[in-house]
Amino acid sequence: MPTQALNRVCYVEDDEDIQRIVRMSLEKVGKLTVEIVTDPLLAIERIIAFKPDLVLLDWMMPGMDGPALFRKMRDLPETRGLPVVFITAKASQRELDELRNMGAVGTISKPFSPRDLPDQLRAIWNALP
Amino acid sequence: MNSPGTADTLAAPSDLVERRPEDPRRILADRVEQLYSQLPLGIVTTFVISVVAAYELREGRYVEVVAFWAGLVLLLTLARGALYWGYRRSPDPKREAEQWLRWLAISALANGATWGFAGAVFFPSHTDVEQVFLAFLLAGMVAGGVTMYAVSWPIYAVYAAGIVFPFTYVLATFGNRLFAEIALLLPAFYAINVGIAWRLNQVFDSGYRLRHAYGRLTEDYTALNRQLQHQLIELEEARRQVEASGRKLALFAERSPIAVFEFDPDGRVVTVNPAAENLFGYSASELAGRAGTETLFPTAATSDVAQRWSEMIRSREPRVSLRANATRRDGVEITCEWNLTPLVNREHRVISVIVQGRDITQQLEAERMKQEFTSTLSHELRTPLTSIIGSLQLINSGVLGELDKDVLELTTIAERNGQRLLDLINDILDVEKIESGKLTLVPEVLGLAELITESLTLNRAFADRFHVKLATSGNLPLVHVRADRKRLLQIMTNLLSNAAKFSPEGSVVEVTMEDVDGYIRVGVHDRGPGIPEAFRTRIFGRFAQADMSYTRQKGGTGLGLAICKRLLEMMGGHIGFADRAAGGTTFWIDLPKPR
Repeated sequence: MPTQALNRVCYVEDDEDIQRIVRMSLEKVGKLTVEIVTDPLLAIERIIAFKPDLVLLDWMMPGMDGPALFRKMRDLPETRGLPVVFITAKASQRELDELRNMGAVGTISKPFSPRDLPDQLRAIWNALP
Repeated sequence: MNSPGTADTLAAPSDLVERRPEDPRRILADRVEQLYSQLPLGIVTTFVISVVAAYELREGRYVEVVAFWAGLVLLLTLARGALYWGYRRSPDPKREAEQWLRWLAISALANGATWGFAGAVFFPSHTDVEQVFLAFLLAGMVAGGVTMYAVSWPIYAVYAAGIVFPFTYVLATFGNRLFAEIALLLPAFYAINVGIAWRLNQVFDSGYRLRHAYGRLTEDYTALNRQLQHQLIELEEARRQVEASGRKLALFAERSPIAVFEFDPDGRVVTVNPAAENLFGYSASELAGRAGTETLFPTAATSDVAQRWSEMIRSREPRVSLRANATRRDGVEITCEWNLTPLVNREHRVISVIVQGRDITQQLEAERMKQEFTSTLSHELRTPLTSIIGSLQLINSGVLGELDKDVLELTTIAERNGQRLLDLINDILDVEKIESGKLTLVPEVLGLAELITESLTLNRAFADRFHVKLATSGNLPLVHVRADRKRLLQIMTNLLSNAAKFSPEGSVVEVTMEDVDGYIRVGVHDRGPGIPEAFRTRIFGRFAQADMSYTRQKGGTGLGLAICKRLLEMMGGHIGFADRAAGGTTFWIDLPKPR
């Protein structure tokens, strides 16, 4: 379990409606500091600048999908150690297992409940070594 | 191809050929018949000779004796006539042949004895000329009897003995040396005559036997002929049937939309049907004699195909539902499902192989498109729903500030219906996955009590909406089952939400666990209205709800139980329901214990 509580979350998502809901959920319900990135191609530099505790990635995005971004993060020393959680509507068990094998610390399936999302993230955060 | 009557008529010839033993009874009957057929002639001849004899001998001193003898002859003639008449009138003389033979023997003895009496009494008392006449008559009677009775030599022996022995005695005691010498010779003549009769008897016997044998041969021949005729007709019928089914088969192959090839055991094409010509773009004559596998599978590793082919020829076992890509004449690759059936002769050798190929390229493409569509649908429908339900949940949670009561009521309705739409999408996706065989389960050994407690917790909020309580019956036993955790929770959620939806307000839905026939049975008991009779048979079908108005009233997709049933079957369990004694329904699921 990490020494400090979960505080800063960066969310990469192309759908603006969902961005807004997640922001409200994490800020209003979860009282977290949130950085939203719309363009996955700009995500790396924004993540490095924001220094989040945890990164939340959408699976399907134009330009670069979640897994590709995740792999890129794994290649860079600045982002390599960041815990990554995927939010996906592709709920196939095989694909979820694939994400876990790639090193994702958690998956949250769409549609998620904005009431419970902060608690789900905290549970994943607290389960980290 | 089983024509009526084939079996028994085919079995018959062996009976015919079987040799029947000679029937001595039939031969005896024939002999008796022969004897009786000669009897009238014998009676008449004897009577005429007797009349002549009586007339010629009447002059002597013993007129009364001659008259007596003539009376005796007359009586005997009448008796023999009666015997003949009786034989002819007998309904079945053949069956009583022995009896009739015995009567004939007695009559023959009597006849012989009458003439013996004539010889013994009249010979000494008459003149030399009359003695010659009498001796001639007696000799004639003895000789004539051979032809009359030779069919049965013992009868002849009895008859001739009746004549010869009294006469021999008279001659021997006459006191004349010449007569004494004749008396010595007479038994020898007698013996010779009996011998001849015996010999004739043998000839007759073999004659009769031959006649019977021939008669039987004729019978057999006629029967065989009849049978042959019959079998020829059947053969012709069978040939017609074979021809008809051959034509039918040819028609099936010709009209079949499936490509049909006949290969020889070496893998060369013998014939193909029009569908095969159309599918692969070769004409039948082009393909005939070509190595089929090399023509149809040019891209496949030749050694691999050849090995699998020779394996099939060796095992003589058919191969079904083989999927392999084949190449058409124009080079286009198609995927076919192949069935290979070796045809084996009586010596267990493969004489040819029927190869059927169904083009499933389009089917596979359709499956792929359907899957892609489902996947897209899943994503494209869930994404907007995420926004809708998420927004409403945030509003309804109150974190954005208190809402007006009416507004809150409406946003709550909107959220609930959004959730319902999501459930429907999830259920449809589940059904699709189950039906396409894409759903994979992850069975593990689970503590059942924990899982049930968890499912109660998850569904409590839902049950509260209907003012129904969810409870376990006492403490649940700590048992383990083998099941997919996520899917078992889905099943329990389905059963609990159904029970809650249909229970009267204020009632309790009870969950029990018990051991039934090697399974762990989980029961969900409600106090609802029960399952209507007409609905019972299709309750586990798709889009099944007892009353469509329930869908609007209570929500639910009507797919839940169908999914539960399939999921349980995949886990090796069962699902069922029963009425409760005091009203309501119990839904139960049986889960397999860990091995």
